[in-house]
Amino acid sequence: MYLAPEGDELEIASAAADFIADALPIARLHEGSGPDMGADLRATLGEMGWFALALPEDKGGSGLSAIEHALFFREIGRQCGPADVLAQALAADCASDEVLRSALVAGEYGVGLLLVDGDAFRLIGPLDARYGLCVTPRSAALYDLSDATIAGRPALDPANSLAVVSGLSEPVDTQTGPRGWQFGQVGTAAMLLGLSEAALDLIVEYAKVRETFGKPIGSWQAVRHTCADMAVAVEGARAQLWYAATALKEGRGDAPAHLDAAKHLANEAALFATDSNIQLHGGIGVTDEHNAHLLMKHAALLSRLFGDRNTLLASLLHAELED
Amino acid sequence: MDLRYSDEDREFRARAREWLQANTPKDPRPAGGHAASQFDRDWQKKLFEHGWAGVAWPKEYGGLGLSGLQQVIWYEELSRAHAPPAHVSTTYVAVMHAGPTVIARGTEEQKAYHLPRILSGESLWCQGFSEPNAGSDLAALRTSGRVEGDHLVVNGAKMWTTDAAHADWMELLIRTDPDSQRHKGLTWLAFDMKTPGIDIKPIRTMLLDEHVNMVFFDEVRVPLTAVVGELHGGWSTAMATLSFERGLGFIADQLELFEKVGRAIKLASEVRGADERPAIEDVEIARRLAAIKAETMAIRAMTLADIAETDRTGMPGPKGSMMKLKVTATHKALSKLVSEILGWGFFEFDGDRSNNPWTHDFLWSWVFSIAGGSNEIQREITADRVLELPRSR
Repeated sequence: MYLAPEGDELEIASAAADFIADALPIARLHEGSGPDMGADLRATLGEMGWFALALPEDKGGSGLSAIEHALFFREIGRQCGPADVLAQALAADCASDEVLRSALVAGEYGVGLLLVDGDAFRLIGPLDARYGLCVTPRSAALYDLSDATIAGRPALDPANSLAVVSGLSEPVDTQTGPRGWQFGQVGTAAMLLGLSEAALDLIVEYAKVRETFGKPIGSWQAVRHTCADMAVAVEGARAQLWYAATALKEGRGDAPAHLDAAKHLANEAALFATDSNIQLHGGIGVTDEHNAHLLMKHAALLSRLFGDRNTLLASLLHAELED
Repeated sequence: MDLRYSDEDREFRARAREWLQANTPKDPRPAGGHAASQFDRDWQKKLFEHGWAGVAWPKEYGGLGLSGLQQVIWYEELSRAHAPPAHVSTTYVAVMHAGPTVIARGTEEQKAYHLPRILSGESLWCQGFSEPNAGSDLAALRTSGRVEGDHLVVNGAKMWTTDAAHADWMELLIRTDPDSQRHKGLTWLAFDMKTPGIDIKPIRTMLLDEHVNMVFFDEVRVPLTAVVGELHGGWSTAMATLSFERGLGFIADQLELFEKVGRAIKLASEVRGADERPAIEDVEIARRLAAIKAETMAIRAMTLADIAETDRTGMPGPKGSMMKLKVTATHKALSKLVSEILGWGFFEFDGDRSNNPWTHDFLWSWVFSIAGGSNEIQREITADRVLELPRSR
């Protein structure tokens, strides 16, 4: 029993942190580099094998577990990284055709997440995505978007493009079973955890240097106590995510329930931490030049993916848990 | 990371479960008074005689010397068996505070005298730390001890002393250097409650009980051999106790909460609301229950993460305060929700925990978020020690 990253896990986490902070820093969103990964970065990530971290070895992946998958996407979240990184990894895992799979692993095509929205679909990801992945708790379906109509929409969250998709044909591939959903839950929960940690770090550092009434704001209890509440929420979300990812790795029967709890707690922690981060920063927190709003907007988007509050709570209520 | 239990852990769980099934008292614990403390002594004696006493204590002092993880297993099984919970027992201070403090700081004589008596249920202890003007700010305490030859003469008053009327001994923290300030000049005593000159006045609480007391000291003579740790070095001795309370001390509460949500979900399926439908069919109630369930899962994960880390490093981390914040908030949310589910039955309360445990729990939720360091103090500790923010004081 051990519930913190250790050994090789730490090495992966540290390699991911270094690479992503360099290749995909949150500062890019202030420098006009645009939403989504973009073709160049997608190719670089593909070359490094990041899309194939949890892909089984016999399918050409690294064959690592949900734990490494979580550690990688936590770093993506910390930099407000786009959701199409996750779509790409899940699509590669979904593809049964070897040629398509290795193209997806290499980042040759763009992939977005498809979400049912009334009679049409929403696309979260690049407007020129070649594929769209629609994941439910029971299966994942990969659609070729070549002949579909993709209408770009203005996006609240600058990390990702947003579009309405219609005219989809039949999926080119389908993965039966919960694997796509479960790795999607781990990935989004981990991104939300990374966002929460980034928000907490931002306000704690600022509270040490910003002064009001002749004292650092971090010495005022109104600020300190909210920071402490943020830390508690983040700690709970982190512990539950490690538990859930490990339960999935070990194939425990109660893994789905732990994943639902992990996603729910990550949703709540991220929404709370990114909200409080803006509030405690004061005026500077609502400016466009600051990172605070980027974290809040991305958290709002990710909290809807792979289980929002109501669907997660409905499935959690009667779920049985093991020792 | 891994969630696997060793064969030894699994065997321990099976053995604990089997013994608790056979030996858990059939009758509920009496609500209070001598009957409750006698019940606690009897249960402690039974644990002792069957080799289950002192799960956290080192083997050389008669305990089981269990790993943190096995302690978690023990408390989970206690809760599952509906056995007398460790945290509402008059043995709590003795087993969870006084014993570990004597082990850490006591002389060989003190260890030889007190430890076996605590384990067997012969000695019950209470805690004499807080005072009328020293609660959250414990270092402001003023109860004094004047050295006279080989004795201390104690004067002053202690407050919020739980179960003082039933305790045989008190962890007594006093100011022995009259010129000292704050944390300096304090002394920690193993105080015999039969000593002449003390007066115990119960404080009736909103739970309709009289578990907490004021204890007055008027020229009370205590031999210097009662000092645990150094004379004037009592803060250090007291901190050994508090870090224990904020680290491992709440395991039982944490894990019982996990079990309690299951009971609340069952209750919500049975109790019908004003519209004659089971309460759980109300979507708001169902969601709140599930959200609380998720919190208790996180509390369990945090507990296991913390325990595994401590088992590996041998050092308890600074996260006990965060744990207490989460546990008390979740406890309050659950008892408030159940108070709504219960309808008018919630208001039927005579102070007896066994007659209406949920209403008792509802009232207890405020005690829980104030006692042992209020939530406001826990936020201060988290801000100081975990986030390392500039000090507020």
